[in-house]
Amino acid sequence: MARALNLVVTGVGGQGLITLSSIVARAALRRGVDALVAETHGLSQRGGTVIVHVRLGDVDAPLVPPGGADAILAMELIEAVRYLGYLRPGGTVVLNDYLVPPPLPGIETPSASSLLDAIRRRAGRIVIVPATRKALELGDARVANMVLLGAALEAGVFNGFIDAAAVEEAIRESWPKAAEVNLAALRAGRALAKSS
Amino acid sequence: MPRYSEVLAPAGGKVLMLGNVAIARGFLEAGVQFVAAYPGTPSTEVVEALAAAARRLGGRPYVEWSVNEKVALEAALGAAITGVRAVAVMKHVGLNVAADPFFSSAYLGVEGALVVVSADDPWMWSSQNEQDNRWYGLHAYVPVVEPTGPQDAKEAAKLALEYSARYKRPFLLRSTTRISHTRVPVETGAIPVEELEPRGDFSKNPARWTLIPQYARMHRLELLEAWDRLRRELAGFPLNRVEGSGPVAVVAPGLGYRYAREAVKLLGAEDEVTIYAVATPVPLPEPLAEKILSHDMVLVVEEGDPIVEIQLKTMAVEVDARTRILGKRGAQGLLPRHGELGLEKVAAALAKVLGRELPAWTRGERREPGVKLPPRPPVLCAGCPYRSFFYALRRAANKLRLRPVYSGDIGCYSLGILPPFEVQDIIVDMGASIGSGSGMAHTLTGGGRVVVAIIGDSTFYHSGVTALMNAVYNQSPLLVVVLDNHTTAMTGHQPHPGVGVDAEGRAAPEIRVEEVARGIGVEKILVSDAFDIRDSEAKLIEALRYTIETRKPAVVVARGACILVALQQARRRGIKPPTYYVDPEKCTACGICYKAFNCPAIQRGEDGKAVIDPALCTGCAECVQVCPFDAFKPSQEPPEEWTVIMRTAKPA
Repeated sequence: MARALNLVVTGVGGQGLITLSSIVARAALRRGVDALVAETHGLSQRGGTVIVHVRLGDVDAPLVPPGGADAILAMELIEAVRYLGYLRPGGTVVLNDYLVPPPLPGIETPSASSLLDAIRRRAGRIVIVPATRKALELGDARVANMVLLGAALEAGVFNGFIDAAAVEEAIRESWPKAAEVNLAALRAGRALAKSS
Repeated sequence: MPRYSEVLAPAGGKVLMLGNVAIARGFLEAGVQFVAAYPGTPSTEVVEALAAAARRLGGRPYVEWSVNEKVALEAALGAAITGVRAVAVMKHVGLNVAADPFFSSAYLGVEGALVVVSADDPWMWSSQNEQDNRWYGLHAYVPVVEPTGPQDAKEAAKLALEYSARYKRPFLLRSTTRISHTRVPVETGAIPVEELEPRGDFSKNPARWTLIPQYARMHRLELLEAWDRLRRELAGFPLNRVEGSGPVAVVAPGLGYRYAREAVKLLGAEDEVTIYAVATPVPLPEPLAEKILSHDMVLVVEEGDPIVEIQLKTMAVEVDARTRILGKRGAQGLLPRHGELGLEKVAAALAKVLGRELPAWTRGERREPGVKLPPRPPVLCAGCPYRSFFYALRRAANKLRLRPVYSGDIGCYSLGILPPFEVQDIIVDMGASIGSGSGMAHTLTGGGRVVVAIIGDSTFYHSGVTALMNAVYNQSPLLVVVLDNHTTAMTGHQPHPGVGVDAEGRAAPEIRVEEVARGIGVEKILVSDAFDIRDSEAKLIEALRYTIETRKPAVVVARGACILVALQQARRRGIKPPTYYVDPEKCTACGICYKAFNCPAIQRGEDGKAVIDPALCTGCAECVQVCPFDAFKPSQEPPEEWTVIMRTAKPA
């Protein structure tokens, strides 16, 4: 297979998945690595399930094939399991320890532990961080995505493609005014992954 | 970073852009002067980016959000008749609305240039149907340009506008979701800023510009002649190219090329195939088709319907070629006729054609995760004024013991289809809530039956107005609810005629829904505060009674800002909305808030009592009105400004 990194980024619409993926792509571009980020817009964004395909390196097609993802970055537990079929055998799952029950009356929500078990059965490696809780501590729930990205960096998901400095540069470029809280979130994510 | 500022990135760089922004950049590099559009996923960002450019370049090019796609295309055609380089942008179903001027534009041609952008949505990520608009090209005799991936979307847009100017004919630029909504690094070229200013002129020439029968016949003959010429000359379109020299031809129009190319690499079949990248699928250029038909075996890989496959098969008959052509049609159909392409599907089809073993990873082994997952459809946001209004609507219908039929429409309120509200019984197309609703109102009989048409503000201006006029004229007994959140919310908060702002951010006349309704002749019009359940309920009851008693249409305008716009504005002005929490002493675990009201920020705790997720709460205070036990409390006294912003915020 060609030299490429395939990622699936998933969660619930509104959790900043497109932003997370764009930061990855911008960081890649800074290191001269080609990138394709296939996003979900419009209807599906309204609190629905969201999947973003991120492909770096020598790639042509926009979508990651099932069984072809080197890693899944998930902002929510149910959505992590929903797209497990994309993970290649032995792949890594970087996970926000956060469960959002779908707001449908009478729907049964699986327990966090049963979801984690499903991920463990499939993943070669699993890194869990409390990204949403950490973001609320930092004063802004919206930066949970950067906490997760920090954890993925620390877990080595991007090794050989992008480094932490490139991600920090991409953050500064994207939010000239609000870089600090996002950088703090990124670093918090790295620290959490290191200790997990 | 201001949204879409990358569209004006300096020339000579490599910049990350969404496919749609790359298309906008391509138009700018080709000197586009006039842009008209109605927003629709997955097309919207093309025009958002062009509007962002116009704001920074002092109104160059001219950019407008038109009230609908038909008007947008007519406006762009008008501009192109005056010698201006114009584009009209829409989603695939928008071209159905604009089909009339589209067909006429092919007859008339243009003096400047005209490119119509259609962003198709295979597998309906955000649409009511799956429609391949390359058919429109064949049907209307309008040549179609299709990028071979997001990678060359910019170049395709630029070339489409240049070719339109050269041939003085409209061109259709067809994109698909994965081209429009994929971000890629794009190499920037120069933008001729001075040329973006629209300077049109017009010389009287009825034979050229009027489609009365005597002239239309002449145009028809010219059109056929031009079509034959295009069938020859489009072979030289720069994005059409041939790679490799193997015996099997892989014909890959549009995005199909990217899947085909990667699949060939994955199978290590570079020596066995010749890839034909086709950026002009309609009309399929004859010289290209001849080359393709010189192969014994052909696989066509295209996103959508088998448009190129059918043309190839037709030509094969015409020239008596013996080529075996495989794709989506016939018993040998190797690729599915629905949905999007995928690397696994294309690799599997190619492996079959080459007589290879299927690579293991393409078999798509989907081991069950071993845990039953609940679905997660999109829902109304926490704090959406439509939720409190739908709650009031259900209460009003119950109080009057009605069994309403809810005639639905296209927009965020489509999400009212879900429990607990279930207030979208039919959904047809933009504006159909009133059109189809008024038809049902004439035919439904039986006690308690009443039609409630539910339409959003932007959709009302798009095509609800004419249907409402029809309902008044034909005295349809229905209640029309216009949900007015001061924006086109679903597509990302574009302004519309009710907002008082235009696409370039300038102040614009504000056309109010209730005044339009009054002008059309609706006699009963009530305006409610959508966030106020009591107010909305009272007005709905009054309007429903009126419709039932008088057998005439009534209108309720439910007003309240999109909470996402309100939150954004509050942040900008440094106003902090409260978050709410549940007082466990007061909560009785009755479940009204999470069962019957269903705010996504409110969840059922283990003891059955409500819990609010502070990460999701928007501070709208709707729950406070719903709870009979006064259990919801604000973290801080809600600032007065916030309660105003919630009701009045508009896109800037």
